[in-house]
Formats: sequence, C-alpha cells, structure tokens
Amino acid sequence: MKRRGTGVGCMFYGIGNTGLPNPAAAFVEVLPDTSVNVIVGAADIGQGSSTMAAAVAAETLGLAIENIHVTWADTQVAPEGGATSASRQTFITGNAVKNACTQAMGELRRTAAEKLEVPEEDLVFRNREIYSSKDETKRMTYPELMGAMSYRGRLAVGAGYYNPKTTYLNPADMSGVPYEVYSYATCILEVEVDTDTGEVTLLKCVSAHDVGTPINPKMVEGQIEGGTAMGTGFVISEKIDVDPKTLAIKNPTLSKYIIGTNMDMPEIYPIAVSSEGEAGPFGAKGLGEPALIPSIPATMAAIGNALGVTFTKTPIFPADIVKAWKDKQAAENQG
Amino acid sequence: MNKITVHCTVNHKPVSVEIEPNKRLLDMLRVNLGLTSVKEGCSEGECGACTVIYNGEPVTSCCILAGQAEGADIITLEGVSVDGKPDVVQQAFIESGAIQCGFCIPGMILTAEALLMKNPHPTMEQIKEAMSGNLCRCTGYKKIEEAVALAASRM
Repeated sequence: MKRRGTGVGCMFYGIGNTGLPNPAAAFVEVLPDTSVNVIVGAADIGQGSSTMAAAVAAETLGLAIENIHVTWADTQVAPEGGATSASRQTFITGNAVKNACTQAMGELRRTAAEKLEVPEEDLVFRNREIYSSKDETKRMTYPELMGAMSYRGRLAVGAGYYNPKTTYLNPADMSGVPYEVYSYATCILEVEVDTDTGEVTLLKCVSAHDVGTPINPKMVEGQIEGGTAMGTGFVISEKIDVDPKTLAIKNPTLSKYIIGTNMDMPEIYPIAVSSEGEAGPFGAKGLGEPALIPSIPATMAAIGNALGVTFTKTPIFPADIVKAWKDKQAAENQG
Repeated sequence: MNKITVHCTVNHKPVSVEIEPNKRLLDMLRVNLGLTSVKEGCSEGECGACTVIYNGEPVTSCCILAGQAEGADIITLEGVSVDGKPDVVQQAFIESGAIQCGFCIPGMILTAEALLMKNPHPTMEQIKEAMSGNLCRCTGYKKIEEAVALAASRM
C-alpha cells in the first residue's frame, strides 16, 4: 500500500563563534585601471566564498563585480582566513573584505573630496561613480578618480580583518553567548511510502532559509538544493558501515554507499528569506550547514507521518519501514 | 609489459598512443594525452565523472580498456569548447549556476552534449533520464537539469 506523509523540520544555527576568537583577514588594492585585487584565505570548494568576496568588495567600493579579481586560499600570499568550516566565511571573511575595502577607500575619499570640493563624509561610491549626497551634480567617474590618485602618487590599499565579538563562555557551565548571529530555516517535505517494499519516494520539498541578505541569490538556491539532496539521502539511503572489529569502512564505494541520483530528488523549492541586517557584511549570514540540517528531521517526520509512527534514528532503510509498519499493524490487531 | 599502440580520434584529431595493455581509456586520456578534464571519481562506473563521448555515446572511461578504443571517435571536455570559448552547453551551465565544486561537471556536460547531439529538443523527462548516470554531491541536480534545458532551448 502506498501512503503519503508530510514532515516539517525547523532549525536555528549559530554563525560566527564568539566562545573563542576566530578571525579572518583580507587584502585589497584598487588599481589605476579600476580593477581590484582582493586576497583572502577562505578556501572556495564550490560554495562560492570567492564570488561572495568579489560581490562584497564591489558593493563596498562602488565598482562592478567584473572589476574584482579574487586570489584565495594560497597561504603564500593570502592572509589568515581561519578554517573554511562552521558556515563562517561569508560572515567573517565577508566582513574582513568590507573592512579592507573601507581602509583602501580612505585615500579614495580624500582625493575625491579634494577634486569635487565637498566634505569626505558626503561622498557616495556607487555604480563606478563618486558623487556628493548633498549635491549630485558634483560627481566624477572612477577612472577620473584613479587618474587623480595617480597624479598625486596615492595608492588605494587596504588590509582588514574581522573577529566576532569574543565573549568567551563560562568555563563552569559553558553558559554565555556562543554566536554573534543565527540563521533560521524551515523545511517541509512530502513523501510517498510503499508499506510493502519500504521504498520512499521524495515528492516535494519547500525549504526556506533566513540568510540575512543573500549576497548571491543563485548560489543560495543552489546551496539549499544541494543541502536538501544530502539531508534526504542521510535519512533514506546513506549509511557508513563500519566493521566493529577492524573499524574499517565496509562500504567505501559508490555502489555500496548510495547517494541519490537526479531521479531520486524531490521537486525542490528553495526560498531565501531576507531579514534585517545584523553584524554580517551587508547583513549576510551563513548557509553552508543550515542548507542541509532541516531536511533531515523533515524527511524523518514525513516518513513517520505516512505510517503513523515515530522514527528516532537515521537512516530509515526499507527494512526499517516494513518492520515499523508490521509492528504497528500487529499492535493495532492486539489492541 | 609490452606496450600496444592504440589509434583513435580524440577531440577531432587522429592520435596514436603507446600504452600498457592493462591501462584504461581513462588513464590514456589523462596520463598519456594530458586531458585532465576527464575526472576519476569512483573507478567502478557508478559516478559518471570520467564520462567521455565515445562513438557518439556517453560512456564511463574507467570501464573501457585503452586497447578497446582502437578506431574509436572520442570527445572530452577539451574538444567541446569553440575557439577557446564555452559552447552552448557550457555557457548554459555557467548562466544557470549549475556548478559548485565542479568535479562532476565535465562528465555532466559531455552527457548533456551526447543527449543533445541525438535529440536537440528533449523533454524534461528525457533530460532527467539521460543525466541520471552522473552523480553530483553539491547541487541537488536541479540547476544542472535547468542548464541542459536552457542549452536545448538555444539549439
């Protein structure tokens, strides 16, 4: 018999550990042709930290993302980035890039203020132009500004870093404020369960994530879609089988450790929920792990809802489902 | 071990390669010809990362001996781009945000190319079925399927 069920998973997740220091830094230089070198330690393994760094630099400097060249992860040239872990690099390295750009803009502001004869604090850097917020007719282009910088022998360089406001935790009971900001998410998933074979078909999934300001909306969607694939697989098909005696992994191949193909995916509807900006760069928060987390309880709850039982362990394989269904039938027949 | 000589066409050019007879097509392409877009993932034909277009079909090059490729017409990702620029499928992958870590992407693109060579206007179901032999751990596949559909719409 095929039965349908729906499950909901909710989570909050701390971004920017404050229990211990965890800084990251960035170097920035705006060159005479208005191209920009940004150097960060953050390792981009496809999650998009480099495009994030480019977007933050472009927004801070008032240039286009095409102007930004990011060199990343090479410890011979890059400053400390800390670990690319804990969903922290958008929040921490993003802020470091913003701070480095702000420092580089010191000379840019001084020079633009001299050329336009307006106070530095009135200057707006936007869309490759610099103008006065009080009188927008007083404006110059970025190439003009860089020409003025070259004429004066000034360089637009900056180094910046960011460390979440470290509060440390109380060593007696570990109480305190462990993170600087929190990401929130809810995932709703619908499944169809075959009670005879135990097969689970993932039907539809809506996964909504408060990421603060989505720096790269398409990457946010991609991360949510990928996280949903991992989270659902974590419940219905993936298990690392460890030999208890030798501690060797018994299924170290993709023919025995089953990850979902495209045919196994539900229809995924990712939603990026913008929220009021907090301490992150332009209000951005982390998404790497949150993308995955709520789909696990949602999948478990959906399978449980289909059968009218509660599962408390992952994975839930077909044999577990058939057994749970039979146990429930037997209990009902006795009652 | 005595070497054999394999004659075949790789990326539209005839090549002859001297290679040990126990080497796979994957080894010949990566080591002997330097075509490192061909990725070694699972080495057992499960993941599709080493996919090449072999006589018009997408095949896993880890499961073919180099000697079997005698006379074959082989295309890798290096043979797809046009004058050093992305072709329609590659461009669609970029625009769709279909790439995260990128390790599966050469195989994904070649599987899509092989599909579109045979069927330039596939339905979404045909796209899903054609792409189902290539595993991806990052994307959840949605944007990859959208990229193939976008490429098809431009064929």
